[in-house]
Amino acid sequence: MAHPQPRTETSSDAALIRAWQAGDEQAAAELVARHARPLARFLAGAGAPDADVDDLVQETFIRAFRGVDRFRGHCQFRTWLLTIGGNVLKDFGRRAARRKVMPLDESVRDVTGDPHEHAEASEVEALLAAGLKQLPRLQREVFLLRAQQGLEYAEIAAALATTPGAARVHYHHAVRRLKEIVE
Amino acid sequence: MNDEARLESLAKRLGASAAERLDVEATARKVVARLREQPVRRTIWVQQTWLRIAAAVLIVVGGAAVASRLPRGSGGSFGPGGEISPAHGAHFVADDLSDLSTDQLRDVLATFDELVNSDSVAVPEGSTDLRELDARQLRAVLRSLEG
Repeated sequence: MAHPQPRTETSSDAALIRAWQAGDEQAAAELVARHARPLARFLAGAGAPDADVDDLVQETFIRAFRGVDRFRGHCQFRTWLLTIGGNVLKDFGRRAARRKVMPLDESVRDVTGDPHEHAEASEVEALLAAGLKQLPRLQREVFLLRAQQGLEYAEIAAALATTPGAARVHYHHAVRRLKEIVE
Repeated sequence: MNDEARLESLAKRLGASAAERLDVEATARKVVARLREQPVRRTIWVQQTWLRIAAAVLIVVGGAAVASRLPRGSGGSFGPGGEISPAHGAHFVADDLSDLSTDQLRDVLATFDELVNSDSVAVPEGSTDLRELDARQLRAVLRSLEG
């Protein structure tokens, strides 16, 4: 007789996915808790307005859970989730363009901490954020997956259905463009 | 900023404030609630599609089965030798009796004259000729043929 395995913090993503597929809502909640912040960082880094990050994170998880049958374990669940986040953000951008909603610039948002120090740091970050928006989507996502999320080229390539060599080329193109923009 | 490492360092800070502000537990609750409230559309679509396909197959197969039993070019059914089966013919006619006019009912009865033994037909008292019957009486006669 099979007994349900008690879930712990060390339960693998794969085990949680199987539990969710079997109808365990708590497993879905655990996956959200595990990956929501990295996803939020990725979305914000890719240009999501701060005010919409929460909604976009939710939408990404909804799409992921509904399409989890298509996840074949070719890459980590988080990497797969981030690529879905990229699609969600692209759709969001299209809708925003139709509504002609312009997101607030990072520099005019409410901030905390030392204003002078923050202004100096945020100036470079704002330049980088602006530079990322100018990159082709593939370059931007490869750069963020590598530089922000710390993923290997092989992992990035598996998630984006490309080769590690091509991912490396995209990354270096992105770095070169960003250096020009930021400097 | 003049090296790749610094660019990567900056990239790691991107979105950090947005991630910090995210209420992870609340997000998890909302996601679970939405998943519960909005069932997977793909599954529903697939179920509906299969139901439609099944219904279409049923109609086609059922229609073919009915058509195969219908007589070629007339309203009665044929026996193994091609003769009309009285019981089946009466059944098909009787299904639509309400839609037939008096003249149509007489025509239908005339086709039965040669097939049905007059003893089995419940002709109303006082009537000796079917042509004297009105629509109601004719329907009663036809229904008596259904068996």
